[in-house]
Amino acid sequence: MLTVDQASVYFATRDGRTVQALDRVSIDIPDSGFVVALGASGCGKSTILNAIAGFLPLSEGTIALDGRPISGPGADRGVVFQKDTLLPWKTIADNVGLGLKFAGVSRAERRDRVEALLQLVGLADFSAAYPYELSGGMRQRVGIARALAPEPDILLMDEPFGALDSLTREQMQELLVSVWKRTGKRIFFITHSIEEALFLGTQVLVMSPRPGRIVGRFDPPFMRQFAESRDARAVKTAPEFAELREEIRAMLHATDTVKRDAA
Amino acid sequence: MSEITQSIVLRADQVHAQTGTPARAPSVARPVRTVEMTSFGIAGRPTAVISLVTAVAILLAWWATSRFGLVSPLFLPAPAEVVTQFANIYRDGYAGASLGEHLFASLFRILTAAAIAIGLAIPVGLLMGVSRVAKGVLDTPIEFYWPLPPLSYLPLMIIWLGIGETSKITLLTLAMFAPICLSAQAGVRALPIERINAARSLGASRFQLFTDIVFPSALPEILTGIRIALGIGWGTLVAAELIASTRGIGFMIMSAAQFLATDVVFVGIFIIAACAFSSAAIVRLVETALVPWKGRT
Repeated sequence: MLTVDQASVYFATRDGRTVQALDRVSIDIPDSGFVVALGASGCGKSTILNAIAGFLPLSEGTIALDGRPISGPGADRGVVFQKDTLLPWKTIADNVGLGLKFAGVSRAERRDRVEALLQLVGLADFSAAYPYELSGGMRQRVGIARALAPEPDILLMDEPFGALDSLTREQMQELLVSVWKRTGKRIFFITHSIEEALFLGTQVLVMSPRPGRIVGRFDPPFMRQFAESRDARAVKTAPEFAELREEIRAMLHATDTVKRDAA
Repeated sequence: MSEITQSIVLRADQVHAQTGTPARAPSVARPVRTVEMTSFGIAGRPTAVISLVTAVAILLAWWATSRFGLVSPLFLPAPAEVVTQFANIYRDGYAGASLGEHLFASLFRILTAAAIAIGLAIPVGLLMGVSRVAKGVLDTPIEFYWPLPPLSYLPLMIIWLGIGETSKITLLTLAMFAPICLSAQAGVRALPIERINAARSLGASRFQLFTDIVFPSALPEILTGIRIALGIGWGTLVAAELIASTRGIGFMIMSAAQFLATDVVFVGIFIIAACAFSSAAIVRLVETALVPWKGRT
């Protein structure tokens, strides 16, 4: 279990004011749970992810992974970034094996494990290529394989498909579901796409901005349905899917109106 | 039955031919006017031919000037004279040393200084890029000395270190240190924080961050710095040899100038040009070998 307990974050602005980015947010991510944080920009979803990853300390509250409090980044939490952060001077295989190299895993073992991971994300033929030779979607798959390599306890994904075209994006969502099913990894995923959140999450947290807080929690069944049927169109065009999508859309718009009225 | 199908196929073909609808992506059969987006500036179009023509024109102009006696040979020797003089110097040496010895003296100075400067400037520059204390302490002396023309502190080097090789190599090292050090710092500054965060969440230690992320990330900038440093190095070397030396290409030029041997001066200038050009070309080769990804991410 990853537990975020009453997390608040305040930033100081340049002109000396204090801005609250996160207001007493609590999240529980159970083993093999797929939790998606959904919201417009400025709702603090990236702030939570950065705090869980250990890139950002909390102003108040605690985060613990399986009972151990978090202080700073570590190989127990794999991160997939929105912008790909592959090293341009390393081959795909060496990029995926980077975490294993840091951990001192021998070259031979590294090769075997990297091969298995590249197979998992469908890039077995590209181990000798360099990042600049790959498309955006392929690079993000490498990013996922790299984050999985050191066998983290949880995968943190910060709008990983935000920069991809919509067709590639859907393929990546389906790939991620099969990766999740095969590895049983806990995933904390951030997106501003309602459809993506509903399709992927076993739990969806709807967030509203200024200050960032959770305004709704849903447990959509769609990802498990897709994992069974492998028919994404059927899942996404089902009436229940549309119904929940509209409900969440209304919720996001409502919080927006509140903000506008207040201003 | 088969006849009917045939005729239908035939008719379909005819229709196709008549309407002229392309069945596949059109490959160019008739001459067409290909177009591209309007560009600004040079935009990657080749300039080599223009440069080559210019070089030939300059040589021709030089040849014509001396051939028709427009300028006294004292000021501008004929190209043939320079070539002959080069052969003479190559055979007999100049001012008590062979051409090889002059060249070796210059190369030894600049290569030794380059090795020391690169070896020192990269770690110091990277350290200044990541450490506030290192940056604060080292910025003061570096920002003080590096805008100075090296020749202005050459006399000081000679007073402190004597007239021998040490003073010249120290001077060159100082002149070449700053550009490499500054470029290494710039390389660290350009390093995206996501890359660092990614490495840290993959379990990188501080040392591994430095060797596996910071240094290779800064390498393109460092190599640019080395290229600039070598340019400065050649300039400083020749100037230093002009003032205080008995060997070296710079000394050869200075000594020849005192006897108004303009052709020898030209030989020296061409040798330095060739050396400086080669060293820049070598760094470029190293760049393509070490940072093939540059500009492609």
